[in-house]
Amino acid sequence: MAVISLSYRYLEKLVGTDRQTIISRLPMIGSDIERTEEDHVDVEFFPSRPDLFSVEGAARAMRGFLGIETGLPRYRVTPSGTSFSIDPGLASIRPYLGSAVIRNVSFDEESIQSLMSLQEALHWAVGRGRSKVAIGVHDMDAVTGPFRYIAAPRDRSFVPLDYDREMTMEEILAEHPKGKAYAHIVDTFPYFPLIVDARDRVLSFPPIINGELTRVTTSTKNILLDTTGTDEKAVMTAVNIICTALAETGASIECVDIGGKSIPTLEPTERLVSVKECSDLLGIGLTPVEMSETLKKMRYGAEPAGDGMIRVDVPCYRADILHDWDIFEDVAIAYGYENVDACISSTFAIGRAHPVQIIGGITREIMAGMGFIEVLPFTLTSERVQYTNMQRPPSGSALKVLSPITEDHTHVRTSILPLLLETCQTNRHRELPQRIFAVGDVIENLETFQKTACAGMHPGADFSEAYATADALCRELSIPYTVQVSGDGAYIEGRRGEIVCNGTVIGTFGEIHPAVLNAFDLEHPVAAVELDLRAVPGYPGRQDTP
Amino acid sequence: MELTLNEKKLLAVLAPLKSAGPALLAEKLGTKEESVIQWGHLLEDRGLATVERVVTTRHHLTPEGTGYAGQGLPERQLLNSFTESVPMAELNRHPLAKIAIGQMRKKGWVAIRDGIVIKTGNDEPGPDERALQDLSGSGEGVEELRKRGLVTCDETVTYSLAVTSAGEEMASRGLDLREEAGTLTRDQILSGEWKSIPLRRYDVKKLPKKIVPGKVHPYQRLIDEMRQILLEMGFTEIYGGLVQSAFWNFDALFQPQDHPAREMQDTFYLGEKIAVPQGFEKVRDMHEHGGTTTSTGWGGRWSREKAEQCVLRTHTTCLSIQHLAANKTPPVKAFCINRVYRREAIDPTHLPEFEQLEGIVMDEGVTFRHLLGFLKEFYKRMGFEEVRFRPGYFPYTEPSVEPEVYVEGLGWVEMGGAGIFRQEVTAPWGIEYPVLAWGLGVSRIAMLQMGLKDLRMLYRSDIEWIRETPAWRPGELSCGGGR
Repeated sequence: MAVISLSYRYLEKLVGTDRQTIISRLPMIGSDIERTEEDHVDVEFFPSRPDLFSVEGAARAMRGFLGIETGLPRYRVTPSGTSFSIDPGLASIRPYLGSAVIRNVSFDEESIQSLMSLQEALHWAVGRGRSKVAIGVHDMDAVTGPFRYIAAPRDRSFVPLDYDREMTMEEILAEHPKGKAYAHIVDTFPYFPLIVDARDRVLSFPPIINGELTRVTTSTKNILLDTTGTDEKAVMTAVNIICTALAETGASIECVDIGGKSIPTLEPTERLVSVKECSDLLGIGLTPVEMSETLKKMRYGAEPAGDGMIRVDVPCYRADILHDWDIFEDVAIAYGYENVDACISSTFAIGRAHPVQIIGGITREIMAGMGFIEVLPFTLTSERVQYTNMQRPPSGSALKVLSPITEDHTHVRTSILPLLLETCQTNRHRELPQRIFAVGDVIENLETFQKTACAGMHPGADFSEAYATADALCRELSIPYTVQVSGDGAYIEGRRGEIVCNGTVIGTFGEIHPAVLNAFDLEHPVAAVELDLRAVPGYPGRQDTP
Repeated sequence: MELTLNEKKLLAVLAPLKSAGPALLAEKLGTKEESVIQWGHLLEDRGLATVERVVTTRHHLTPEGTGYAGQGLPERQLLNSFTESVPMAELNRHPLAKIAIGQMRKKGWVAIRDGIVIKTGNDEPGPDERALQDLSGSGEGVEELRKRGLVTCDETVTYSLAVTSAGEEMASRGLDLREEAGTLTRDQILSGEWKSIPLRRYDVKKLPKKIVPGKVHPYQRLIDEMRQILLEMGFTEIYGGLVQSAFWNFDALFQPQDHPAREMQDTFYLGEKIAVPQGFEKVRDMHEHGGTTTSTGWGGRWSREKAEQCVLRTHTTCLSIQHLAANKTPPVKAFCINRVYRREAIDPTHLPEFEQLEGIVMDEGVTFRHLLGFLKEFYKRMGFEEVRFRPGYFPYTEPSVEPEVYVEGLGWVEMGGAGIFRQEVTAPWGIEYPVLAWGLGVSRIAMLQMGLKDLRMLYRSDIEWIRETPAWRPGELSCGGGR
């Protein structure tokens, strides 16, 4: 999540009102106040709104929301006279480039920091950790256009930021902190992306590191921006967000010629939306004029266009407007969620519990009636608990997690009984007798279904107890069953049985094997039962997805 | 004053004797002395008798002491082994020399000068030697022998019971000494004998033996109460697989394929593959360019391979969309409370698996306003009277909302998320009407309701905690719903 620090002094200046008003209304535009400090507030904005990741962007939105300045913010773009060429060799590497020249910036340490943090937040939210988009800002006056975006040999060298010697790009990936952090994005490419000026001096090795040559300092007056990436839309979004944020501080924006196109234009996108569709979605009756006014508070350009339609100009920095409903949400936000008259719809339907849950509930009732206490173990478990400790062969149908966090959670359970024994283990010091049970999901062959298991641990727990419990459980669940001798290693030979229904083994019961007790550090005999609830009449058949 | 039969029997025997020892009383009552003492104490508590405890101490010679009693203490024997004086070296050869020389010197019987031991003539028998012959007198002699391990002492406790005047008075009024019945028998009930037999009376101040009933887990009970609320509100329960294709878990919900939540970092992937369902092309188109809606889609190329990867479901919304795809005719009101997975390291507030509640309403004419209405009603039934709404962001809803409920002592607490399914989500399946949807982490409510600080309590069951947690806890959901 992107947490942005907004300094009160700067925020108040840019919004034009006091901090209390701003802070009290900020959440209602869509944000979480993380903490308020003496001189600044830390605010988390949604990842869908990267245009709010700077004080300038947040202030622009708040001016509209508070009615101080509404409607579409217009940004003038003049030609810079410089241009970029793109090497066709980059097509399969990192094909897209965006750029702009930003003049008359006035930097101090704070505003440089602010620009860097916007850049980092964009790398995260839009750039997907620089793989999709990476952004570079350069001191324009240190270099000369036209510029070239090229696929360069991996052993080409230059002086990267924070270093005082030339390094090859391969060395940078191996040694430079940024190189090590982002090497995975480029290291399989035969050539590396590189930005050079008219005199072949290196500005940047995107998406890894800029050159020391164009470092931005407090004396920087003019900026050259580059954004490179694998997604054209995202590359342009990054340009628009940075240019408009700096334009808010009084800088002037100039476009760059890239392959015959002037970039950026900072022009809005036009959409024609229906007032009725919006009213129907929100349940708020709005006239075209009212809807236009609400949209202007969200910094759209909006004019009624007749026929119940509104022409909406979507600002160039809004990356989140994919669909008309995205605009309608902004209508609701400007209208104020607190002003929506909440009321329940008259939708009539009759509630119905799911048969699997009904059977689970009845099973709980039966087990509790027999004196068992329910436990709710995890479904994630390990081969050791599920199979090794139980003296059972690993199930071929067990699911293994590809990237487990701990060695205790490597498998999805196929059986619940081992988890009950594990629960007994953690409760060793608790008073006996311990009678516990669980009902819950297991997975075999990608099918999720329910099992129940119970375990009684006390001196004297024996086969007869297990058999009697299994018998009562099956009788109460109307399962017509027979019993046969079992070969399950979890139980003692001669003291174990299999529950059979319609020729299928649906459960086991017996006295837990002493070696299994040892494996779980248990000191008393355990009588146990496990039953597949698919055997219960009325349990729904395997549901295939539509 | 209700005496037990045993107390009455003892009082009856003791009263004419005024006072007696337990041995005699036990003999008369045909019981053990300990029982007499125990019953005596009960009578004493009621002021009907006194029980006096007398401790007597008796000394015995140890086997070593017995030997010396005949032949004299070692120092006496050694003293008698020579006349006026003897060289030390010679005396040392005597078998008792080791223990005796020191004692002779200490008692002043001898003096040693230039290696010669000389009697002082001052060798009257001391208290210890007198005690050796007669242990009955107490005092320093016995004590010295005890220190030297020649005497041991035994303590004997004897009791003496005496009736008080109140006891005598009660005995003189006559005591009912008929046998009491502990358990009523079938014969006694049928024959009418129960009318004449005295039944033993129990002391209600004495706590009974604790029974621990079998029970449903407190958290499961809470889940069942929430299920009940939703069933009462007319919602149909859905249930489905823990394993889902990335297609249903992410793509069908318009989560872009490069979304960070889809990474291995946050989601449990499995090695298996699940084929994309029929009609997947419409989802693909939606991602690539927005299909037939006003959406632009995410752009780029949609990968079928990524969609066929398998995950442990990260939310139950994948069940909602499958339910809707199979039930397109309005109205649909559905819910589920089921387990979901996130690849999180375990700590007090994060678990890799937990329960999520999810509700959806699909109908002609339902709006954002109704969504807020359902949320208010639902939280009210859950016991949260005050609910407010803030804008939220979820990839598959638009508009989105974050409900907050007011909790005494905590203030406003974020409670799940909600919204209307995006058209990008519903259109590929031909779902024509808006779908109101909300979800929340049930364990969060459990923590609030049960006052838990550590989520792990819910799953790593401490049997003692379950035993001690009452099935009915006033003030929780079950009551809150009715307020």
